[in-house]
Order: sequence, then structure tokens, then C-alpha cells
Amino acid sequence: MAAAIRRIGLASGWLLVSLISVLPIIGVLVGLWPPEHITFADIESFLGYQGLSTSVFMTLFSAIFSTLLSLYIAFMVYSQYHLSRRLQSLEKYLAPLLSLPHLAIALGLVFLFSDGSVFFVDSGLPRKGLSTLILAIVIKEVPFFLLIFSAIGRQLPIKYWLLQGNALGYQDYRCWWLLVFPALLKQSRLALLAATAYTLSVVDVSLLVGPNIPELFAVSVYRWQTSFANGDQALAFLANALLLILLALSVCILYAHEKLAYAACQSLATQGSRFYIGIINPVFKAWLPMLGILTAMMVVVFALWSFGFNLHRVSFNSFNNFNSFNSFDGFTATQLSTRLWQDEWLFFALPLQNSLLIGLLAGMFGVALALLALELQRQKGKYWPDYYWLLAIILPQLSMVLGWQILHIWLQGGYHSGWVIVSHLPFTFAYAYLVLKGPFQSVEPRYELLATSFGYSSWQSWWQVRFRLLLPAIFTAFAIAFSVSIAQYIPTLMMGAGRVTTITTEAVAIASGSQQDLIALYVLLQSILPFMAFFLAAILARRFRGSMGRQRYEKE
Amino acid sequence: MISLLSKFLVSGWVCCFLSLFVVTVNADETVKSAATVEENSAQWQQTLKAAQGQSVYFYAWGGSKAVNEYLRWATREIAQQYRIKLIHVKVTDPSEPVSRLKAEDGRTSAIDLMWVNGENFAYLKQQGFLLGNLWSTIPNAAFLATERLPITIDFGEPMDGFEVPWGIGQFNLIAEYEAFQQPQVSATSLLSIAKKKPQTITYPRPPEFHGTTFLKQLLVDLTDADPRLYQLATTKAQVQLLPALWQYLDQLHPYLWQQGTAFPSSAAEQLLMYQQKSLSMTVSFNPNQWLKEKSTQQISESSVRRYFIDGAITNSHNLAIPKSAPSPDAAKVVINFMLSESAQQEKFTGVWGDPSVIIPLFDEKATIPAHPELHSSWHVLIEDAWQQQYGG
Repeated sequence: MAAAIRRIGLASGWLLVSLISVLPIIGVLVGLWPPEHITFADIESFLGYQGLSTSVFMTLFSAIFSTLLSLYIAFMVYSQYHLSRRLQSLEKYLAPLLSLPHLAIALGLVFLFSDGSVFFVDSGLPRKGLSTLILAIVIKEVPFFLLIFSAIGRQLPIKYWLLQGNALGYQDYRCWWLLVFPALLKQSRLALLAATAYTLSVVDVSLLVGPNIPELFAVSVYRWQTSFANGDQALAFLANALLLILLALSVCILYAHEKLAYAACQSLATQGSRFYIGIINPVFKAWLPMLGILTAMMVVVFALWSFGFNLHRVSFNSFNNFNSFNSFDGFTATQLSTRLWQDEWLFFALPLQNSLLIGLLAGMFGVALALLALELQRQKGKYWPDYYWLLAIILPQLSMVLGWQILHIWLQGGYHSGWVIVSHLPFTFAYAYLVLKGPFQSVEPRYELLATSFGYSSWQSWWQVRFRLLLPAIFTAFAIAFSVSIAQYIPTLMMGAGRVTTITTEAVAIASGSQQDLIALYVLLQSILPFMAFFLAAILARRFRGSMGRQRYEKE
Repeated sequence: MISLLSKFLVSGWVCCFLSLFVVTVNADETVKSAATVEENSAQWQQTLKAAQGQSVYFYAWGGSKAVNEYLRWATREIAQQYRIKLIHVKVTDPSEPVSRLKAEDGRTSAIDLMWVNGENFAYLKQQGFLLGNLWSTIPNAAFLATERLPITIDFGEPMDGFEVPWGIGQFNLIAEYEAFQQPQVSATSLLSIAKKKPQTITYPRPPEFHGTTFLKQLLVDLTDADPRLYQLATTKAQVQLLPALWQYLDQLHPYLWQQGTAFPSSAAEQLLMYQQKSLSMTVSFNPNQWLKEKSTQQISESSVRRYFIDGAITNSHNLAIPKSAPSPDAAKVVINFMLSESAQQEKFTGVWGDPSVIIPLFDEKATIPAHPELHSSWHVLIEDAWQQQYGG
């Protein structure tokens, strides 16, 4: 009897997990189905599109380069902070930066540092260019990787590895690179995939700070997909197919990088050759405070704008500087007021509430399903390939959601938050999975064995031991899943059809305009909920430390 | 007619007046043939009754604070007067409702009303997704200023009652007085300004709509408004007319912002750059936007409005109802309200400043001298050729 129940339970678990993980594939298949007959002439006109090869190359380069750069910076920073007491509050520091959406970071960069910026200084950062795009992505991804490292690191006996390394006569930084890096790299593979896929297909940030002669490939794809002029839908189909190839290619590149890095560490370790990367450590120690200041500056600028602050530079005597447009003699500032906040309050209260509800449910279910998927695979003793679980993040979002939209209309299920939550689930699930996988696999199995030997049932030992040990990672996973749900625009609009408005559907619409004060206000509003989630998760994670946390803390 | 017209082409004023006339003469027949229903007719009373208590989901671009605020005002008025709930579904791209209608493929739609024009309208009309006879079943459509404004044809596609004009777009520049002292801009004067103040002139990257229109204005000026621009583009006409534009752009681009190696992605972005003083001009389709932006201190006091010497390319933005809309009656009542004197008045004098499209409120001063749209075939041609020349 009990065995039968167990079998039914297992089967329905698998069913649930496969349903969620297969949704992205179904979406892409339905959404990408060739809209019209694709002719040879279409292929010709696609390949003949001026600047296509440059655009594809730039896009692939920026995606891979910014991801790897973020990875190495994040690792250097992590190695600086891991041993200090401040690590405990590392995640708290990360919260504000993690909660600003990508677009807000790009906007902040543009307004702080490009020509005509607040500081009136020319930082040499082009308003539109590959370097600005990569910088914006790196600023946003480093904290994300730090958070992932911190979740993974809690389950790894890094302290002992370092001790052993030191005992053999290696300096700290060498131990980090030779012992810790390979382990972290392997476990953060999913995060790397997610970051690359994001950069490959991001449209809003590319439009704002990306180069546009030629424009980035994701922008072209988006333009064709949303155009109904003759032949554009056929181009969109071909472009999406190429985008899929690019995604597959970047997966291969990341795997190759991992193998290479692994081999490099190994040969360095066995040959005993010397490298002196430790010299630049102080740079990375300063990274977090610098980012903190940068974030604070951005938040202050956004806040000032939302209070109606506006600089009006006036030239008092225009004849003196007739030849140079940019030299002005002074500026006046407008009065600050809370009018905009008061005006908008009536209109953003409900979307904020919707966001909170949808984010909580989609986040919780996403984490639960990720745990379920991991546990089912552990029981089976075989883990499926990583990219399968991350399909929701890897596949092109617009086609995928278009497919869901068609299915949803076909089902005639009406428009309510339930469907919006379902459409967020594949994303929250995938992000929760990528955070949890490393920690889940590193939980020491002997703890559970011990519990079972004390007479706990397998369910009890899972709940009392494994789940408890995983709690810090679960908090992190939930915070990320929650903020991912908050940030969803396309699924919310397409499934909710305007019946369900969230703070993001409002903010993204506003951001397509040019009203500085309103854009700033909605950027801040959009960041509030994720900020609270990250902040709470950081505090809670500290309270429920992972399996290796206690010893580390006591040593200090 | 056309050959006669070409004799007057030297003067932009005469040109735009006459060609407006040409457009309206053709369209008048379709308008007048179907008599519009009256406000107090039984048919309209029935529509009003059926509309009560219904919700209208209105898909419209949500990026403009002015438009959003205007729609908030309209929502309050409509709820009070007709007991209809108007809900503004804020989209970032006008193609969003189009791809939804395509996905729905005739099933009951989530959309009751949409803001549309150009190629999206042409596609929806061809696919048979739109409700017809709007002009004859909505009382206030009788007051549309079809004889004064080019509002019966949408980018070469006759409206035929599948959409109703809501407002007017006229291409203009918002610019710093110091750089743009003449009231009108020509290709030559723009080039000399660009040379005098390098790096401060640019235009949104085509195929963005404003950017393409900017190129069209230059083409009109450079070819002295060649009559072939208003007909289907033949290969011969392309070969003879377009090179003037590329020669001009070859001269202009080195003096543009970032030497023409990057362009703003949208008019909204260019306006932001203008606000930050990185540019000395930006582009707009609302002839009164400069006044509204000034009154809310978004742009500097020294900003002025400038338009091209042949007149501003003028088109309309419109409202349409999907054939499968769940509450078409209520949507018609909303359109009728949008065309009412009070709503059109508020649209012009309120935060938005969009000119009225109805005869009772028609005001020469609200608009700038108009120039007709080019034939729609030129639109795609210019975009493709630009991409080929400068886009890669």
C-alpha cells in the first residue's frame, strides 16, 4: 500500500516537473511555426541584410565576454570577502544593486557618465557603444554571480581546502584559484548560461546603450517579429532560427571555457608554475564599496528626478560662446516637490499589490518545483543535462510567450492572475533551479544517513535535515525567483491582456517614453519589492546558516 | 491633373494645399455615400443602451505621460456620462495588439479598441480583423474635418470606415533658438547648422517612424517635391530621385551626433538627449509638443518649433475596433466621445496638445502648413536603401 502511494507520488511529481520544464519547448514550437511559406528569396534577403554578420558577431562577443568578465571579477571579489567577517553581510550589500532592473542600471550609467550628464564631465563612455553595453551588463551580473557563489560556498568546505593548501605551502590567492575556482566554476555553470542567454537576447538595454550601426542582433529580431510589413514575418522566423543557433553555440563556448579553465588550473597545480595574480587583489577589495557608491548615486539621481528636480543650464551671454554649444555659464534647478508621487499614488498602488501577490506565489511554487525536480533526480541517481532545466531562460522569450499566448487563447481560460502566475512559473522555476542545484548536490549525505539511523523516516530526515541545511540557499533562490517574477513584462502583458497590471507593465510602458521624472519614479517603485526580498533573504540566510557556516563563523 | 500640379511645385504652400485637395476629392465619395447615423436616432440610442455597464479595453501606447493623463480624464468622463469602464492597456509597441489579434485569429478578442495607423492598420484591414462601417455608425464622425485635413487615407491605405481619425501628426523639429534661427528648415540650412554646431544634430535610426519621416522631408526638399513621390515608386523614379538624398546624407553624416556612427533608437530617446542638452534639436509628430514640454519645464525656455520648408508631412493617428471585440457597442460610444467637442477640446488645450480633427474646432493656428504623405511604397524603399547604405 505504502509502496503504491509512493509510486503514485513519484509519478505525479515527475509529471508536474516535466510539464513545467516542457512548457518552454511547446511555446517555442507553437510560437515559431513558420507564419507563411518561407521561400528561397526570403533566405536571400535575410542573408543579404546589411551588417548582419557584424551584428551577429558583436552580439555573440558581448554576451560571452561580459559573462566571463563578470565571472572572473565576481570570483576575485568573492575571494577577498569570503574570509572576512563582512561576508556575513555581503548579501545585504548586494541587495540594492540586485534589485535595480538592468534597464535602470543602463539609464543610470547614461545619465551619470555620458555627455550631457549630471556631472558635466566627459568620462569617455560613449552614449551608445559596445563598451557601455558590456559595462552595464557587468555591473548587473557581478552581484548576481556573487549571490550565486555565496549560495554555493555555504555548502563547500572552502575553509579546509584553504588550510590544506596553506599547509602545502601555497599562498591564499593560489589556493583560491587552484582549489576553489574549479569547484565554483562547475557549480555556477547554470548561472553562466543564464547570464549569456540574457545578454544575447536582451532588447531594452541594447536599444538604450547598445551600438546601432549595425544594431545588435536581438534588436533586429525584435523589430522583424513586431513588424507586419510584407516579408518581415518571414525574416523574423529566420532570425529566430539563427538566434537559436547562437544560443546553442554560446552553450558550447561556455562548456569549452569550463574545460579549458579546468585544464589550466590542473596544469598550473601539477607543474607548480608560478603566477602572480594576487598583486591586483586590492582592486577587487574596492569593487563592492565602489559599486555601492555607484548604486547610491543612481538611486539618488532617480529619487531627485521623481521629486521634479531638473537642471536647466542657462547661457547668460550667448554671444560669448557662440561657437561651442556645450559651454554654458551656469544652471538653475527647479523646485523639489512630492506632487508626482501624490498624483501617481492612486495609480500605482494596485499594480504594486498585484506584483507582490504574483511574485510571492510564482516565487514559492518555482522554488518548490525546483526542489522537487532536484529530489526526484537524486532518487533516480541521474541528473538531466543542465540546459534542459534552463530552457525557459535560454530560448528566445518573445517567440516562446507568443506560443503560450496562442495556447492560452485556444484554451479560452479567461484572463486573470492565475494564468499570469503560470506563465511566470517556468522562469521562476529555472532561476530557483540554477541557484539550488549546487548547494543541493553538495549537502553531505551522511547527515541524512545519520538521521535515518536514529529512526527518522526518509521523509522526516529530508524535511528535518536536508531542507534545513538548504534553507539559506532556499531564501536566496526565493529572492531571485521573486524578483524574476516581478521583472516579467512580456508574459504578464500577453497572458494578462491588460486585466492584470503589475508595476512592471506600467514601468516598461513609461520607460518607452521620454518623461524623466515619471521614468525615475517607476524605476524606484519597480526596485522596491525585489530590494525587500533580497534584504530579507540576506538576513534570514544569516540566521539559518548552511552546513559549513557555523565553524567558519566561530573561527573568526 | 498631376502634370498641371507640377507647374506649381516651386511653392511649397501651393503644393500642399492642392495635393490635400486631390486626396479629399477622391475620398469624399466614400465618406458621403454612407450617411452617418444621428445622435438622437433610435439606432444610436440602442447602441448607448447596449453599451451601459460594459468595459472597454483600450490598447494604446503607454509611454507618454500627456496621453496617459488625457486618457485618465477621458476614463472619468466616460464613466460618468455613459456608465462605461474605459481601461487603458499600456503597451510599449503598437504592434502588440496586432500580434494578439493574429494569435486570436477571429476568436473572441481581449481587445475592444485600439490606437493604430500605418502598416499595422493596412495589415489588419487586409486580414479582415477590423470592424467596418465605423464612419456611418458613429454620429460624431459626421464632423470630421475631411476637407481641411488629410484624414481619409492612412499611408496610402483608404480607411474605408475601418478606423476613425482621432488626432493629427505633423512632423516638426523642436530646437534651440540659438542654432535654428530661421522659422523654416531646408536641407541646405540644416547642413550649414550641422557644420556650425557639429555633433548636436541627429535623427532616430530608421526604420523608426520619425527617422524615416525625417528622410522623407529631406527627399521632398531635395527633389523639389517631385510629383512621382506621391505615386507608386517605379524603378526609374527611384534611380532618378533617391541618389540626391544619399549624396546629401553623405555630406551631412560626418557632422551628426557621434559622426553618424550611432543614432537615437527612438524619438523619445532623442527628446531625452535634447533635454540633457547633448543635442540642439529633436523630432516630434505633435505640432504643439514644444509648448507643452516648455510649460512643464521639460525643455529649456529657448526651445522653438521648426518645420521643413515644403510644409510638415501630415498624417492622422486613429482608433479602430477589432471585428471580434467583446463590447463593440461600448467601443463605438467611446470613439463617439473621443470625437466630441469637449474631448477634442481637452485633447488640444490640456496636457497633450494634439490638434483637433473635427470641423467645429478646426483651427489654422493649431496646425502647421501641411504637406501630404509620400506614397506608401516610398516608405519601405527609403528604409531598405538607408539600411543598405548606412545601417551596417
